[in-house]
Amino acid sequence: MVAVVHTLHRLRKAGHRIAGCFPLYPPTALLHAFGFTPVVLWGLGSDAAELRQSDRHLQPFACAVARELSECLISAGQTTFDAVVSYNACDTLRNLPEILQAASPESGRSLPLLQFHLPAIPLERTVARSYLERNIEKLIAMLETLTRSAFSSRQFFASTTLYLTQHRLAIALEDAVGSGQISFAAGAELLQLAHILPVEEHIARLREQLAACADRGAVHAEPTRVMISGIVPPPVALADAIDAIGLRVVANDIASLHRSYGYAPAASDNPLAYYCDYYLNRPACPTISASADRRLVEIKRLINKSRSQGLIFLGTKFCEYEYFELPQLERMLRAEGIPTLRIELAAATTADSGASQLRLEAFAEMLRQSEHGDD
Amino acid sequence: MAMTSTFSKRAAGQRLTQFVIEDAMRLRQRANEGAFVVWIGVAVPAELFAGFDNVVYAVPESHAALCAAKGVGAQQAEKAERLGYSTDLCSYARIDLGTAFDGGNGSPIFGLPRPDLLVSDNNNCALLCKWFDVHHREWGVPHVVLDVPFCYERQQPADTAYIAAQLRDLVDTVAQLSGQRFEIDRVREAVKHSCAALQLWKQFLDLARDRPAGISAFDSFVQMAPIVSARGSERLVAHLQRLVEETRQQIARGEFPVADERYRLLWDGIAPWPQLRKMFGRLAAQGANVISASYTYCIGSLEGEIALFAYHGEEPIDYLARLQNATVCPQGMALRIAAMRRAISHYDVDGVIFASNRSCKVYSLMQIDQMRRIREAVPIPCVMIDVDHADARKYAEEAVFSRLEAFLESIDDARA
Ligand code: SF4
Ligand code: SF4
Repeated sequence: MVAVVHTLHRLRKAGHRIAGCFPLYPPTALLHAFGFTPVVLWGLGSDAAELRQSDRHLQPFACAVARELSECLISAGQTTFDAVVSYNACDTLRNLPEILQAASPESGRSLPLLQFHLPAIPLERTVARSYLERNIEKLIAMLETLTRSAFSSRQFFASTTLYLTQHRLAIALEDAVGSGQISFAAGAELLQLAHILPVEEHIARLREQLAACADRGAVHAEPTRVMISGIVPPPVALADAIDAIGLRVVANDIASLHRSYGYAPAASDNPLAYYCDYYLNRPACPTISASADRRLVEIKRLINKSRSQGLIFLGTKFCEYEYFELPQLERMLRAEGIPTLRIELAAATTADSGASQLRLEAFAEMLRQSEHGDD
Repeated sequence: MAMTSTFSKRAAGQRLTQFVIEDAMRLRQRANEGAFVVWIGVAVPAELFAGFDNVVYAVPESHAALCAAKGVGAQQAEKAERLGYSTDLCSYARIDLGTAFDGGNGSPIFGLPRPDLLVSDNNNCALLCKWFDVHHREWGVPHVVLDVPFCYERQQPADTAYIAAQLRDLVDTVAQLSGQRFEIDRVREAVKHSCAALQLWKQFLDLARDRPAGISAFDSFVQMAPIVSARGSERLVAHLQRLVEETRQQIARGEFPVADERYRLLWDGIAPWPQLRKMFGRLAAQGANVISASYTYCIGSLEGEIALFAYHGEEPIDYLARLQNATVCPQGMALRIAAMRRAISHYDVDGVIFASNRSCKVYSLMQIDQMRRIREAVPIPCVMIDVDHADARKYAEEAVFSRLEAFLESIDDARA
C-alpha cells in the first residue's frame, strides 16, 4: 500500500480533493464533475505491508480486498481523503461504511460518507430504474451540500468525455497486451492505475504507453493464449511468472481491470440517463446480481473471440460472489474443451506465490501439450 | 417451592418435531399433487403466497438448519464441496446445494420438492441471491430477487415504496407462472395470523425476564422452525399459544432451564445448530443460561427495536414491505446496537457473547466494533467466540469454552 499512499500524498500536495470510493464501479465522472479526484480503493494488496488497523475492526475471514481498503482508509483517511463514497455490492462491504466511520473519530475527525443503493434487480424494470435515478439525485444533493457548489451539466459532459477517452485507451492497451506488444505484468500495472491516478494523468500515461507499443510493432511469435478472471490482478511476482512462462493474456475478465473500464457510456450532460446506461450495460460481474444471467454468456463470448486456450481464475479468498459462480463456469468451459486453473489469492501479507507459480507452469505445459495434440 | 433444573421440554419438543415433520410432509404431498412450489429466502414475506389457491413454499435455509441440527450438515456440505463449491461459502448454502445435487439423499426430510420459482431476498444477505442463482442455472427455474436497501438508519418511506412495488411485481409473476388467481384479502388474513403468532412469540421470549429465566435462548432457537415453515397460518398461532401456556406451567411448577442461574447471557449470532445441546449443557453446569439472542428477539420488530411491530389492518403489502428488515442482518451497526441495548436492559443481562461466524459475513463483520461500543456504552462484560452455525468441522469446542470460562470469571470480577 506504500505506493498507493505515496501517490495519494502527492495528489494531496498538488491540491487534489480526494474521494475514496468502494466498491469497484462508483460514479467517478459525477465525482470528477464536482471537482473531486475519485480514487477507487481496490486491489491495494500488492504493496500492503500490514493490516494492523484493519485487524482492529475486521475478522480475518473478511476478504483481502476489504481488509486492505479498510487499512488504507483508516490509516490514511484523516489526512488524505475529503470524502468516502460507497454503494452496496457484497455482504462484506455493506458493513464497512459504519466501521470506517466509527474508526475515523478515534483520530479526531469524521470523514463525510456518501452512500447510495445500487438496485440489485434488472435496471430494465421501471421500479429499479426510477429507484436508481432517485439515488443519483440524492447523491448529487449530498455532493452539492458537501462542496457548496451546484451541479453543472457542462462540467459533467466534460468529465464523461474524459472517462470515455480513458475507456477507449484502456481497451487499446488490453489489445496491446493480447498482441504481445507489452507484457501482461506491465499492462496490468498501468491499467490498475486507473483507480488511483487522476483520469487526466492516466489518459496521458496510457497514450504514452500506446505510442511506445506502436513503435515496437507487432509480435509474430505464436503464443499460448489464456484468459484471466477474478477480482484483482495477480500480485507482481505472479504476473511476471505468467509472462515468463510464455502465457499470453489475450482476454481479461478481472473486476478491477476489464470489468471496470470495459464500458463507458457516450458523453452526456444528464447524470440520471448516464448512470442508468452505465450500470445496465457494463460488463457482467458477480457483485452486480442483475448481471448474473449474462455472465457465463459473456465469458464464453470473450473466450471464443480471443481464441483463449484456457482460463486462469484468480480467486480472492472468502469472496463468495465469485466462488458461487465458479463451478458452473468451469463445467461450461470443460464442456467446450477449455481447461481452467484456480489460484486463490489471500491477503498480500500472507500470500505465498511460489506454489501458485508451480501450478501456473504445469498449466502452461498442459495447454502446450494439448495444442500439439499430445496425450 | 423447590426449583429444579429438570426443564422438561418433552411435550413442547415432541410437538415441535411433529409440527416440523407434518409441515415437511404437507409440503411434499401438495407438491406431488401439483401445487406451485416456490423456494424462498427466509426473509421473503411468505404470507403473499396465501393469496393463491395452490402455492406452497419451502425455505432452503431452514432445511439446512435442520440438517445441521440433526448432525448431517457437514456430510451434506461435503457433497457440494466435492463439486467445486468452496468451503468458504456459507455452510447453509453448501448444505442446501449438496442436498439438492444429491437428490435429497442424506437429509432428515429427504430434501425439498423441486421449485417452480426461486425468490431470494438480499436483505438477509446478497449471498443468498448468488446461491439461488446456482439452482436457477442448474434447473432453468426462474429466479426473482427482492432488492431491499440495507438499513444504516430506519427504513425510509421511499425504500418502503420500492420494496412494496417489488412485492406487487412478485405477486404478478407468481400469478402469471402458476396461472392462479390472487386474492389480497387472503393475504390480509395471513398477515393477521402472523401478527398474532409474533405477539405470542414475544410473550414466549419474555419468559426469560423472570429470575431464573423461564426459557433458554437455545429453546427459542429451535422453536423458530414453525415460524419459518408455517407463516401466516392458524396452526402456527395455536402451536405458539400452547408453547407459551405450557412454559408458563413449567415455571409455575418451579422447572427452569438453569435453576441455579448465576449468569444471564445474551447471544449475538445465528444459532450454533450442531452444538446446541452440548453448549447449553456445559454452560448450565456453570450456572450460565443464554436467556436471549439477537437472532430471536429481532423477529417481528422494526430495525433497532425489540418490541412487536403490530399489524392494524392497513394494506398488507405495505405492512410486509415495512417489516422487511425484521432480522438482524439487514440492519446497520447503530440499529443493531440500539436493539441490543434495549434487550440487555429488558432481559437484565449480565454479559454478551458475540458469536463470530466465518460463514455469515453479514452477521459477523461488524461485531468487533459492535462489541467495543456495547462495552463502552452499557458497560457490560462481552466475549467473542468463533463458531460456524452449521458446519461442525469449523468449531473448536475447547478453545471456545476456555474463552467462555474466562468470560464468566470476568462477570464475577465486574460484580466484585
Ligand atoms: S472481493 Fe468479493 S467479498 Fe471481497 S469486497 Fe470484493 S466482492 Fe466483496
Ligand atoms: S447464514 Fe448468513 S450468509 Fe448464510 S444465508 Fe444466512 S444470512 Fe446469508
